[in-house]
Amino acid sequence: MHIPDGLLPASVCVAGYAITGGVTWVALKQINKTSNPQVEVPKAALLAAAFFVGSSLSLPVPPVSVHLVLNGLLGIVLGWYAWPAILIGLLLQAILLGHGGVTTLGVHAVMMGIPALLAGQLFQQRQRLGKSLPPKVALGLFSFVAGALGVGISVLIFLALVVFAMPSTLDQSAERGFLTALMVGHIPLIFLEGIFAVLLCFFLLRVKPELLER
Amino acid sequence: MKSFCSARRQGMQCLGWAVVAIASLPLAATAHGAHVQARNTAAVEIQASYDTGEPMAAATVQVFAPDDPQTPVQSGLTDASGRFVFVPTTAGTWEVSVRQAGHGDIAAIPVEAGGLVASEFTNDAGLSWLQRGVVVGAVIWGCVGTALYFGRRGKQ
Repeated sequence: MHIPDGLLPASVCVAGYAITGGVTWVALKQINKTSNPQVEVPKAALLAAAFFVGSSLSLPVPPVSVHLVLNGLLGIVLGWYAWPAILIGLLLQAILLGHGGVTTLGVHAVMMGIPALLAGQLFQQRQRLGKSLPPKVALGLFSFVAGALGVGISVLIFLALVVFAMPSTLDQSAERGFLTALMVGHIPLIFLEGIFAVLLCFFLLRVKPELLER
Repeated sequence: MKSFCSARRQGMQCLGWAVVAIASLPLAATAHGAHVQARNTAAVEIQASYDTGEPMAAATVQVFAPDDPQTPVQSGLTDASGRFVFVPTTAGTWEVSVRQAGHGDIAAIPVEAGGLVASEFTNDAGLSWLQRGVVVGAVIWGCVGTALYFGRRGKQ
């Protein structure tokens, strides 16, 4: 789910950088509001490493292969810190591994970072929205939905970008067929990342529950 | 007698016009046979694969000539091995775009006169598994180091 340089029109790349600039400003402002912004940095650094490694772990879902994204998980655990962690992870992926490109960095940040922030916000609402549920059920449910939602929204943004920016010179029907296969291939990943988020949240609840509260 | 001569002259005129019309038809329209000729030429073969090593089969290829990077001069699909062959007609840098479902790459291939790939051109082989492991290890180490540094500062 990394779009390389040269496949998207320049206007889309510029718009991606513009949105990324605005969201970075908002995210850093929110982080700066906390009493000690450096407290969360170790957690953000470790999860940025997990995000970076995730794109190298390919999962074969015939006829395509997909890779872990983990943006929903970062949103759950890091909240606003997920944005800079994802931004740094994407930059390192583009420069060191050649996943994506430098011109599409802004687009990728929007594609993976905004769903992470949404997932984080949803997870934080579990006590208000899920107050009628037992706490453990609410934790399991909201961590699954937030973990799955992160990658799910990213897949939809990716699909919209590729379809919107598809050159008319391409064989549209063949390209749509491959895109459909790729989207279907991401459905197991969406469930997998949701389950992964549930497991991590229950692990943190047992060993360090304060990490789940912000 | 006069009317007979007039009718004959008109008939001859019609015949003349018919001969002129047939003679002026395009040559292709009058051809009934076709010939296929074969000759050797210098072609460039590309091979596209994902970084997992899996070939990009049936991916869309577009070939752009050095003088027009906007309009593809040739389009097609890669074969099951991710291969595609095109014939560069002029010297210069030819751009080949290979894409499938939002993934792909654009290669700039310098071609010399005669259609041969320039000798200084080297293919980007990507990272080997060892190189990839070193890069991933270095990034993890950097992140762990950052975490330890800020963790220690937080405690102080």
